[in-house]
Amino acid sequence: MPKSILPRRQFLQGCSAAIASMAGAKLTNLAFAKQDNPTDTLIVVFLRGGWDALNVVPPRDGRDRGFYEKARPNLKISDLLPLSDQFGLHPAMSPLFDLYQAGKAGVIHAVGLDHDTRSHFDAQEFIELGTPGSKNTTSGWITRHLQSSGISSILPALATTGQPTSLLNFTPTVSLSAPDDFSLWDNGLAESQQNALRQLYNGDSLLHRAGARTLDALNIVSPLVNGEYQPSNGAFYNDDDFGIQLKTVAQMIKLEAGLRVAAVDFGGWDTHEYQNEGNSGYIADLLNSLASGLANFYLDLDSGHTERLSVVVISEFGRRLVQNESYGTDHGHGSVMFTLGGSVNGGQVFGNWPGLDNDQLYDHADLAVTTDYRQVMSELLSKRLGNSDIESVFPGFSGSYNPMGIFR
Amino acid sequence: MTSHPPKFTRRDFFKLGGTLAAASLLAACTPDETLPEPGIPTSQNNLTTGPTPTPPPLASLAIIALSRMSFGIRPGDIEAFLALGSTDDERLQAYVSQQLNPDSMDDTDFETRYNAAGFETLHKTHEQLYADHIAGNPYDSNDDTYWEWYGKPAYELVDATVLRAVYSKKQLVEMLADFWHNHFNIFFWQDDGVPLLVSYNRDVLRTHMLGNFRQMLEAVAKHPSMLYYLNQNNSTDAGPNENFARELFELHTLGAENYQGVRDPNSVEKDANGIAIGYVDNDVYEAARCLTGWRVDDDLGDWEDGIEKTGNFIYSKSSHDRFNKLVLGKYIEADQSDLKDGMDVLDLLANHPGTARFIARKLCRRFISDLPPESVIQTAANAFTEFRDAPDQLKRVIETILFSNEFKQSWGNKIKRPVEAAFSMMRALNSDFTRIPGSLSWMIGMMGQPIFERRPPDGYPDVKEAWANSMSILYRWNMAVGITENWMDDENLGLKMRTDVYAQTPTEIRTSAALADFWIQRLLGRTIAETDRAAIIAVMAQEYAPDEPLPDDHVQYVLPAMVEVILMSPDFQWK
Repeated sequence: MPKSILPRRQFLQGCSAAIASMAGAKLTNLAFAKQDNPTDTLIVVFLRGGWDALNVVPPRDGRDRGFYEKARPNLKISDLLPLSDQFGLHPAMSPLFDLYQAGKAGVIHAVGLDHDTRSHFDAQEFIELGTPGSKNTTSGWITRHLQSSGISSILPALATTGQPTSLLNFTPTVSLSAPDDFSLWDNGLAESQQNALRQLYNGDSLLHRAGARTLDALNIVSPLVNGEYQPSNGAFYNDDDFGIQLKTVAQMIKLEAGLRVAAVDFGGWDTHEYQNEGNSGYIADLLNSLASGLANFYLDLDSGHTERLSVVVISEFGRRLVQNESYGTDHGHGSVMFTLGGSVNGGQVFGNWPGLDNDQLYDHADLAVTTDYRQVMSELLSKRLGNSDIESVFPGFSGSYNPMGIFR
Repeated sequence: MTSHPPKFTRRDFFKLGGTLAAASLLAACTPDETLPEPGIPTSQNNLTTGPTPTPPPLASLAIIALSRMSFGIRPGDIEAFLALGSTDDERLQAYVSQQLNPDSMDDTDFETRYNAAGFETLHKTHEQLYADHIAGNPYDSNDDTYWEWYGKPAYELVDATVLRAVYSKKQLVEMLADFWHNHFNIFFWQDDGVPLLVSYNRDVLRTHMLGNFRQMLEAVAKHPSMLYYLNQNNSTDAGPNENFARELFELHTLGAENYQGVRDPNSVEKDANGIAIGYVDNDVYEAARCLTGWRVDDDLGDWEDGIEKTGNFIYSKSSHDRFNKLVLGKYIEADQSDLKDGMDVLDLLANHPGTARFIARKLCRRFISDLPPESVIQTAANAFTEFRDAPDQLKRVIETILFSNEFKQSWGNKIKRPVEAAFSMMRALNSDFTRIPGSLSWMIGMMGQPIFERRPPDGYPDVKEAWANSMSILYRWNMAVGITENWMDDENLGLKMRTDVYAQTPTEIRTSAALADFWIQRLLGRTIAETDRAAIIAVMAQEYAPDEPLPDDHVQYVLPAMVEVILMSPDFQWK
């Protein structure tokens, strides 16, 4: 909970503006034919740090509400937005609740990584590699999806912060935070320099390929540089990291360069202390940023793009049922996922609820995992992403695949 | 020449003549469907895709040593290295010996610059930092001045870190300070102890990084920066907070490679001394109990007895869990003396063979290769164990790594991380500054590695896969342009960074080919592939022939662009 983040951010923006004003002429644009997207564009939002799923979608009623309130006397959430008879949504997520009611957003509960670990880094890696329990994998699950589905486009994959493990070894990925930041500073000889770089980065090493891809990306993105982006339908993106990333993804979708997958990261969920004060506080601010970002993203794309849009929100695990003495929660197990898109069977909470009684908990401590996150991803692959080769994407899992009806 | 004309005049100068090769732009938008090569198994917790398909040719030992033990080669470094002896081994021995005895090195140039930088807070003791910038911050917390004063020591530390990396001759200790900060990572903006980053860096990391690991581990565990960052400060017998204990196992000592998950501790195999060969969740919980009561003597608990607000480490017996525990198979009795439970945990972890291997692997990854051979990891781990009680244990481990054949015979299996790329450009170009302009920090942030701002506790990744993405590479290139063109100045604060490549070029060198050769040698210390050399010459030549003498104004205008291309090239990134 960095309380001093604001002055720092303002400082950085000052620098950024100063540098942006120095950025020189745009590159020569190369027009490309608009590319059809026969399948959905997948947006994976990864919440880093392990979000407190039980406070995002707590039980509303009954016995489990009792267990929940007893375990979290200081942290329990009230005045929930009703998702079902059994569950409610944290009120800070109200922008997403509207989409839930409209059937565009769905919830999967008690979902996650079905592997015994409470390590952030292990759990994130297993989820993103798509091979729980094994790190001997040299590609991410999205990498294998894009390869096995034979996708070809100018811009198949976008990552808005670095290159996540889910896209490990997928060289065509373009990584950029915002188009306005993505230009080579022009000293008057930038074109000449780029010609030289084409030669210098002509090679087969990881570095060579990444450099060549950077040159490609400069050409792809250049039409967007220094252009004022106007979101559709009056959508408004918050000026926070998440809002900026989503705005970038929306711009790239509208570029119609064949974007198939975008990976978006949202950090700060590792809440070991002072995580909330009633319905407000640190996590409420994060949740509001998340929900408002997603709702505005959907609104922006509800201009002819949502029928080919599937968003999934995932975190590496949920947190302990019982609050700790620092008014926080320690690492847990089962989590909650959200889906969003024009072809989501929204307005429902999916999954088998295991209950919160002591002997129903994982390791007598955490919400259990009754749905493997790969079920959700596999259903996406086969119904929305045109890829029935689940075995290639999630080796050893295809036999367990059993669609839950999350997607149409 | 002291300054370039405004940048747009360069384009005017060429009158947009014939510099654009359309063919390469057309090539740019071809979809890339390269499939990955079959990789070799990834290392634990640090994904890599294996060795480069065609590794660059092995560089000379001078280049290997200077590229991996320093933040980049300065003019004169290679000559100085070669003068250290008559064989490679002699020179390496002498260089490492110098670097590992930093107190005996003359560092006058750096010290003069450091004194001129006018740091106001870096000399303060830990208690002074706490008293002046936290407990006794004189400003109103609703005002920016409060936060400026609160952040000032840590911001000064960032500036000093860059100054040292670029100018100090004690390069190996700077590399190690960076390594250990990432190993025992603290996020700059962690809650309550931002100004204390200064004492953490100085009194913990720099004090112990050539010393003993067990002592360093204890200093880390007791430093308020860590106590705050990983919530140890609020861990009590009533409800231990597991955050620090978990990362103590997973990141600081045994590593995830020795994590056996959520399972019965009795099911874990034991060694000859009855110590578990790996850890499970139960060990984390028990260790958290052992560490309850380890906290900061701060102002956050006014109601408590015995809290004097010194900002130092304190043991709060009343919040320590006094009952018995079981950690890694070792029974820890109830009611041990003050601090003993926690000390037992640190002993168990520091002496564990799993820790020796984990630390050795990370150091080898830092200094040799993204995927260091098991042979050198084991040799380094053996040294770690053999000298575990020695006051210079870590120095001996590092020597073992740097004198190994694996060190001498590997090249190009790593690329410079963003900070190294940035610092090495400034070093190679002999850039002149005392306090860094804010734009430099911003650029390093855009490259993905803002200094001390890794938020999760695992530290920045140390493998190329983390940095070989388009955003990071583009800003590597922009950094080359920004520094060489002198575009980094902060006019408002009067902070300047000056680089003059023209003045550093002998006046008799005036053909494109000769200028390219001079700067390739100067920046890389070696020759490069002929096709690459030709591409660099082409930038310098523009409409001239490679061996045609160039008019001086052409040299003035074009030389920076050619130098930038060399800095942007793959050859400048290998290490």
